[in-house]
Amino acid sequence: MIKITELEKFYRTEEVETIALNKLSIEVKKGEFVAIMGPSGCGKSTLLNILGLLDDPDGGSYLFNDIEVADFNERKRADLRKHNIGFVFQSFNLIDELTVFENVELPLIYTGVAAAERVKRVEEVLDKMQIMHRRNHYPQQLSGGQQQRVAIARAVVNKPKLILADEPTGNLDSSNGNEVMELLTDLNEQGTTIIMVTHSEHDARYSHRIIRLLDGQTVMENIMI
Amino acid sequence: MLPPVVPSLVKGATWRIKVKLMLKNYIKIAWRNLKRNKAYAFISVTGLALGIACGILIFTLINYHLSFDNFHHNPDRIYRLYTQWNDETVSKSSGVPQPLGKAFRNNFALAEKTARIIDFDDNLISFTAGNEVKKFREENGVAFTEPEYFDILNFPLIKGDKKTLLSQPNQAIVTEHIAHKYFGIDNAVGKVIRLDNKISFTITGILKDLPANTDRKQEIYVSYSNLDEYTSKKRETNWDGVYSESKAFTLLKPNVSVAQANNALAQIVKGNYKGRDLKIWQFKLQPLSDIHFNADLDGYADKKYLWALFFIGLFLIITACVNFVNLATAQALNRSKEIGVRKVLGSLPNQVFWQFIAETALITIIAVIAAIGIAELALPVINNLFKSKMQFNWGQLTGFIIIITVLVIFLSGSYPGLVLARFQPILALKSKLSQKHIGGFSLRRVLVVVQFSISQVLIIGTIIVVSQLHYSQNTDLGFNKEAVVLLPLPKNDKPIISTMRNRIKEVQGVEKISFCYMAPASSSNNSTNVRFDNRAEDEHWGINTKPGDENYLSTFNIKLVAGRNFYAADSTREFLVNETFAKKLNLKPQQLIGKMMKVDGKTAPIVGVMKDFYNYSFHTEISPLCVMPSNKEYLTCAVKINMRNASSTLASLEKIWTNTYPDELYSYQFLDDNIAKFYELDTVLLRLIEGFAGIAIFIGCLGLYGLVSFMAVRKTKEIGVRKVLGAGILNILWLFGKEFCKLLIIAFCIAAPLAWWAMTNYLKDFTYRIPIGPGIFLAAISSTFIIAAITVGYRATMSALTNPVKSLRSE
Repeated sequence: MIKITELEKFYRTEEVETIALNKLSIEVKKGEFVAIMGPSGCGKSTLLNILGLLDDPDGGSYLFNDIEVADFNERKRADLRKHNIGFVFQSFNLIDELTVFENVELPLIYTGVAAAERVKRVEEVLDKMQIMHRRNHYPQQLSGGQQQRVAIARAVVNKPKLILADEPTGNLDSSNGNEVMELLTDLNEQGTTIIMVTHSEHDARYSHRIIRLLDGQTVMENIMI
Repeated sequence: MLPPVVPSLVKGATWRIKVKLMLKNYIKIAWRNLKRNKAYAFISVTGLALGIACGILIFTLINYHLSFDNFHHNPDRIYRLYTQWNDETVSKSSGVPQPLGKAFRNNFALAEKTARIIDFDDNLISFTAGNEVKKFREENGVAFTEPEYFDILNFPLIKGDKKTLLSQPNQAIVTEHIAHKYFGIDNAVGKVIRLDNKISFTITGILKDLPANTDRKQEIYVSYSNLDEYTSKKRETNWDGVYSESKAFTLLKPNVSVAQANNALAQIVKGNYKGRDLKIWQFKLQPLSDIHFNADLDGYADKKYLWALFFIGLFLIITACVNFVNLATAQALNRSKEIGVRKVLGSLPNQVFWQFIAETALITIIAVIAAIGIAELALPVINNLFKSKMQFNWGQLTGFIIIITVLVIFLSGSYPGLVLARFQPILALKSKLSQKHIGGFSLRRVLVVVQFSISQVLIIGTIIVVSQLHYSQNTDLGFNKEAVVLLPLPKNDKPIISTMRNRIKEVQGVEKISFCYMAPASSSNNSTNVRFDNRAEDEHWGINTKPGDENYLSTFNIKLVAGRNFYAADSTREFLVNETFAKKLNLKPQQLIGKMMKVDGKTAPIVGVMKDFYNYSFHTEISPLCVMPSNKEYLTCAVKINMRNASSTLASLEKIWTNTYPDELYSYQFLDDNIAKFYELDTVLLRLIEGFAGIAIFIGCLGLYGLVSFMAVRKTKEIGVRKVLGAGILNILWLFGKEFCKLLIIAFCIAAPLAWWAMTNYLKDFTYRIPIGPGIFLAAISSTFIIAAITVGYRATMSALTNPVKSLRSE
């Protein structure tokens, strides 16, 4: 499903150039659950942003479902993104001014789903995430675990083929964290490909394969049995 | 032994050092902050500078007008006499019958001095210099003046003897400026000048040049005793007519009240009028301080326009302050870390507050310096516009500027200062401050609504003034004003007129020619009594007389609605009247034909009724009027020419005219230029409103830009999230758009009725005016929308295009 070859990314300031990704090559198959680990500054988040088409690589190739997307323009990337990719962030990134229901509904609005269908799908997914009773609450009124469940609901409501999760349990206690990991595993079992950046060995164990990065390069791959 | 240290002194000294250090630190930080946020600094300084510059200019303008004629001694005891007619309607004139001043002076002991002065415009002054005769046309003309005039008003004499000034016939006094212009010397005493080739005057005194702030513009004064000789009329005992330039001024004794003087004037009426006239005629006193402002009595600057300007100035300064508050509070979020650190290190809330006030002061002072520069540059433009000679009175301005500076610093600095001072240090340090902590987003909304209400009122005002002017200048006046050249007739003897007519007819390019008193629309109008159809008494309203020859109608293309044109004649044998005349009599035009009419002592039949035409500007109603031949009253030769060869035609006209009047100075005017002059004040007003509206809109846009920048910062995360979820650029733009649409609509709802009220009042001054239709309001709101969209669009697009990765990283 995803194949990146010799991917490069640099960050430049006036004086220094930092290499975030150094000719990195990775392949992820459909239905896989991959964890990416490594120390701070090793390029995990940069990789996730590029995979999520939120950022441009400076070199190399990125094939998404066998299509070269590295040189896609903003519009094409947005289009591909909204139909295929769901995001889960460490800090949830819910919009404070919108209710739980409205937050989850947002991706459907942007993909042009009709109102009646939207209600149906949002309710379905809220039900699945067991936060239906909180549908009219605002994010500030929820606990961290509940907020992350809403964020996951929002990520999956469009039935994406790929979910990119950036330390999804980073802001949660262990029981809420486990709950979120269970949810992701369920989604994966139903066929969604998941790529997750994490610092937690515990969380990484939920995945099929761990890719370890250092200074923008792969240093090791562990296959989980 | 050292003296014991007084603790309070030490405390005072350390406190002073502390304050000094802190102040230095504040200013350093403020300066660096401005340098770092150049766009913010630029917008703040520009907005404030423009607002303050307008404030300075408007202050100067208002002050200039309030200073008119305030330099005379005893200004509160000086009055001008004026006439009021209480007929069907009340009308007023600043002119009085010629004998009035004398009667008031001789029969009552209420005044220390009373003086009469009669002006004539556009006179020819000539004198011999060596073998050459020099000629000057004086637009401000000459004034036949009684000597007491210079005891009442303070126009100091620098040469000559005040006691004998203008006391004998054939004496003149002129200003230094005139002396220089004519003779190139300061002391022109003893020189002889000739007025309109009729009377010679010997200069016996030189006046100091007139100050700019006086309505008394005459620079040549001649003996009053020569008046009858000049006009060839005996008006010294004539109480029936009022020449609008015949004035009388009086300096009342201390302790004499206006009521006493008005009583005396009422007695004069009793002694000189009979029958119905006793009720109609009234003379009153107008205070000197009212003369410049009273539009009913030729005042130049109506106080309501000055008030309008005052409010515009105030609005502009408020807009600029509002702008600053908007930007500064938006900026506060970016400063949270610095404030957090300061607080952790021991800064007290009031120190943070004063730090911000210091920053505001720095910006304001830079803005004030820029404003003074802008005002200096703009003053010549405004002087040009108003044909005034305003100067900055730095004495008064310094006070004004200091007050404005302090006000602006506290008005605009205290709110952002308070907001910053309230920050909780931990949240500030962690950059966890959000809208909730900054507060006042709705306050900012209110401020933007205020700004846009002001802009829209000004836009609506501009549109209405423009439309009214356009209407005034382009509506059918009822006669042709294009391509008509007006030549003056210094002499109008029959042979001169017929020779001139024959010679001008021969000129190529001349289409029509008419000899007349004045063009159909003119600022000078002669109104007199009329008696219709041998009735027992005169009508209760006057008739406007427009003497002209048989070609008057064809030259100006005036249409007849009944009857025929009169036959060629030298004196009045037949009359033409207008439709308004028929309406005043409640008769149909047809019913007037053949009826006798008595005007100015001449009785003749009405032979035709003209379609109404405007006889002055749109400010005044069309008067009942008559046109009749009367050779000796013709002052103008109107020539309709073909504009294709205008320059050669004009050259030929000049040649003929100069040959006919070798002693005179040639000048000509186009009728349409003359008519445009009726709207001079409106044009000035328009330019002024346009200018200030432009600035208000510009400052408003700066404010909007500030607000949208603030929103962009605040919504960074939201925009990022939405983009990640698939929002397109248009979706993001609408996030901003919907907010501003709401604010603009609210602003419009406030502005529209206000503007409607103000402009209805403005239009009241025009007898013929445009209606205020919905189109005007539509134009105003749509133009504001476009301006706002452009302003908001740029910043919003920048936000919409930001890579969401960056927005989310800011978390």
